[in-house]
Amino acid sequence: MKHIKSLLIAGLILMGLNVSAQNQTDMRLNEYLVENTNDFQDDFGQQNAWFELFNTSYGTVNIGGCYLSNDINNLQKYIIPKGDVLTAIKPRQHVLFWADEQPFRGTFHVNFTLAESDTIYFVSSDGRTIIDRIAVRKDIEPNVSVGRSQDGVGSNDGKGEGWQIMPNTSPSTNNAGVDAKSKSSIMAEQDPYGVLIAITAMSVVFLALIILYFVFKFTGRLAIRNQQTRSDIATEGKIETVKAEENTGEAIAAISTALYLYAVDNEAHDEESFQITMRHTDRSYSPWSSKIYTLRQAPQVKKN
Amino acid sequence: MSNLVQFWEYTGFANCNFQYLLMICIGLIFIYLAIKKDWEPMLLVPIGFGIIIGNIPLFPGLSVGVYEEGSVLNILYQGVRQGWYPPLIFLGIGAMTDFSALISNPKLLLIGAAAQFGIFGAYAIALLLGFTPAEAGAIGIIGGADGPTAIFLSSRLAPDLMGAIAVSAYSYMALVPVIQPPIMRLLTTEKERLIRMKTPRAVSPTEKKIFPIVGFLLTAFIVPSGIPLLGMLFFGNLIKESGVTRRLAETARGPLIDVITILIGITVGCSTQADKFLQWSSIKIFILGFLSFVIATTAGVAFVKFFNLFLKEGNKINPLIGNAGVSAVPDAARISNNVGLEYDRTNYLLMHAMGPNVAGVIGSAVAAGILLGFLA
Repeated sequence: MKHIKSLLIAGLILMGLNVSAQNQTDMRLNEYLVENTNDFQDDFGQQNAWFELFNTSYGTVNIGGCYLSNDINNLQKYIIPKGDVLTAIKPRQHVLFWADEQPFRGTFHVNFTLAESDTIYFVSSDGRTIIDRIAVRKDIEPNVSVGRSQDGVGSNDGKGEGWQIMPNTSPSTNNAGVDAKSKSSIMAEQDPYGVLIAITAMSVVFLALIILYFVFKFTGRLAIRNQQTRSDIATEGKIETVKAEENTGEAIAAISTALYLYAVDNEAHDEESFQITMRHTDRSYSPWSSKIYTLRQAPQVKKN
Repeated sequence: MSNLVQFWEYTGFANCNFQYLLMICIGLIFIYLAIKKDWEPMLLVPIGFGIIIGNIPLFPGLSVGVYEEGSVLNILYQGVRQGWYPPLIFLGIGAMTDFSALISNPKLLLIGAAAQFGIFGAYAIALLLGFTPAEAGAIGIIGGADGPTAIFLSSRLAPDLMGAIAVSAYSYMALVPVIQPPIMRLLTTEKERLIRMKTPRAVSPTEKKIFPIVGFLLTAFIVPSGIPLLGMLFFGNLIKESGVTRRLAETARGPLIDVITILIGITVGCSTQADKFLQWSSIKIFILGFLSFVIATTAGVAFVKFFNLFLKEGNKINPLIGNAGVSAVPDAARISNNVGLEYDRTNYLLMHAMGPNVAGVIGSAVAAGILLGFLA
């Protein structure tokens, strides 16, 4: 039994480790631009093709050690350097890579271009698992990007479900997705007087507590029935109906006080734990703590 | 001589102005009310002293102020700012709350739900006063009469208003004995105040053990955004009722909640620095906080009267326990009892009022979760 427990705990820990290692799977290719003649510039003042990754999760994901590629036969074409603090992508944030074939320019410059690419692959740090891929469209006009209509939403199998030609390029920022406006500002437009939210929220509060009401009404009935059955068994079938006298509030209060005082005085509990607690004795000497009785007898050395 | 001048410029006297003195006076009033009037001393003493600490005029850049990154007070304040003190308080509340009254008479849960009207009433009025929906949600939660929940929600929805919201919530919680009784008397008839409720049945230990598990699962599945508060509340109750984790329960309802109460009180007090606190919006928040308490109490009492229309004679609920639907535990329940005793010296409503009172804790946590889901 002990072994099974240990295995179970070890399994759960391993599952936990597995989950944390898979945070990279929350990353998505989010937008790309193939021909950049008059769009975003990099730190070197150059206009090159770019593509964007988006962290769909609500935790920071470090993509250091992951790979980017445009070749299915060489998924490890570009390794995103480890140890760069900028590769830790904050929740729901974007990171931009320049496809300029000039990796010596920094972490975010890959060693391939989009003009020569049919598909972009984002590959896990194991170098094998493709986390996301997107087929690159070449039939797009210069300075027009292709992206997900909502950040991170859509397929990751390269078929382009959820992708569209973007009305405006949006490198390193939202693709007009759900995060573009705060919930509060959406609510201000939809429900300026707070009536809808009040009705909805009160309905939910009532719903939650009504469900609890029904559940505990039901369990209460079960408990009463169970109690009745036990009582019947205790009387061995000889059920005597005793008409209880009308209890007054004072009587109940007096009984409760008496029981409480009894419990306090005797340190009684609602439910006995059937455990004995051995407390340290205040006396300095006791046969239980005496070294004389607990130590082995000292060997006697006889001197002749 | 120049050293003395420089020293003088560093002192609080040189940097003091009327606003700081006003805030220090408010802090002193809090301490006075706590010590002399015994109004929520556990909260008002730390908050009051915190207000004094936070309003000592400082020479900026010493890294000692609550808003200066890396200062001791700032580090302690992160529990408020990031919202992790409130769930720990809820853990302690769960470990000290006996839900028997609620389990034995589950229809009292609905009173706890009705009192949440205070939150949404204040939300609507706050919108009319020009607050954004997120700010209005954070202000409205004052009506839940639950300080930790107010801090938790405002830290997420309106961090800039958190100081005013927290102080307002705790102040009105302390003022529950003043605010609620007149409303209760106004809304009830002599006959209603004398209603005697059935003695609650004894609740079995098994039911008590089931309650936190089922209660959490049901509420959390409906409002997942309330998990931090609901999870800790029901977990605290489970360690209390399980019977095998007595040490954990004792720690949660004793030393842990005491430590967090000290930290939350002192840091919330510190956060009321005059330059950030003394603004027109703070005054509006105090007015809205008062209104939310009035609406919550009114809704609770009115709901019981309405509910009684559908209940048989003998099963009717005394509307004086309607006020307890706000989650100021156990003060609101105590007020039900005291007002009830004014009209019938033998009609003890405390145990009955504890039902809606603890239901109010659950209800306000659920409401906070909903607001968080809608507005965060």
